[in-house]
Amino acid sequence: MQEYIDLKMPSRLLYVSSILAFARRLAQQIGFSQTRMNDITSVIDEVCSNAIEHGSPSETAGIDLTFHCDSSQLEVLVRDKGQNSENSWLTEGWVDEFLTRRTPGSDRGHGVYLAKKLSDHMEMQPNTHGGTDVRITFSLVVIPESVYHTV
Amino acid sequence: MPTKSLTMREDSDVIIVDVNTDLGSYEAAELRRGLQELIGQEAEKIVVNLNGVQHINSTAVGALVGVAKRLRQKSGDLKVFGTADHIKRTFDMIGASRVLELYESETSALAGFK
Repeated sequence: MQEYIDLKMPSRLLYVSSILAFARRLAQQIGFSQTRMNDITSVIDEVCSNAIEHGSPSETAGIDLTFHCDSSQLEVLVRDKGQNSENSWLTEGWVDEFLTRRTPGSDRGHGVYLAKKLSDHMEMQPNTHGGTDVRITFSLVVIPESVYHTV
Repeated sequence: MPTKSLTMREDSDVIIVDVNTDLGSYEAAELRRGLQELIGQEAEKIVVNLNGVQHINSTAVGALVGVAKRLRQKSGDLKVFGTADHIKRTFDMIGASRVLELYESETSALAGFK
């Protein structure tokens, strides 16, 4: 079974916590562990915060999110509109360079690193709005029933 | 962040900040502002209680790191206690636990200033 849930939020950091509460509940319903629910919350927070701070020309521009769930994974697409420049702000090349320059323990610049480390897969693509589509995937590890019987 | 989400008390010359809300980017800005106000009021020793925090993002961790560095320039410091395991993992992953002193309890954090 595959299901899609679309959400749209204003480009305001104030609303990110509400999105996280939804994502956490959804991850729980799908069957993710507590640890994985924490990871999912962290990743969506970092990606949405970046989309608002760096990928939105105004508060009304908005961020689009699509949650795609099936029996094996949760995929989240976060789409921003860009900041009226010709190119999207976040590209694979930029991220590679940025991660190389990242200084552990500094007070900024860890969001993308955390998102990449805590998700199973993360990819960025320019979109037709001049913004960026960030697609993040979390695999659902299903414990075989036989394992339960051996406990 | 409502006022009750960030409460402050004193223990001798140390200000203890109890954080009672999860810390995303929005709340991180409020936390940074609250801590900077304390520095503006000449506070030099700050302890931050994260017992009430179930989620923290990199911006909020960065705010704590930034304030700690500022306080150290004045011979003060910011120390943290009450980090749940998954919160501590976030500090570890971004290298903040190399910079910030994390303690198990308020008592040990306060003792860190002695």
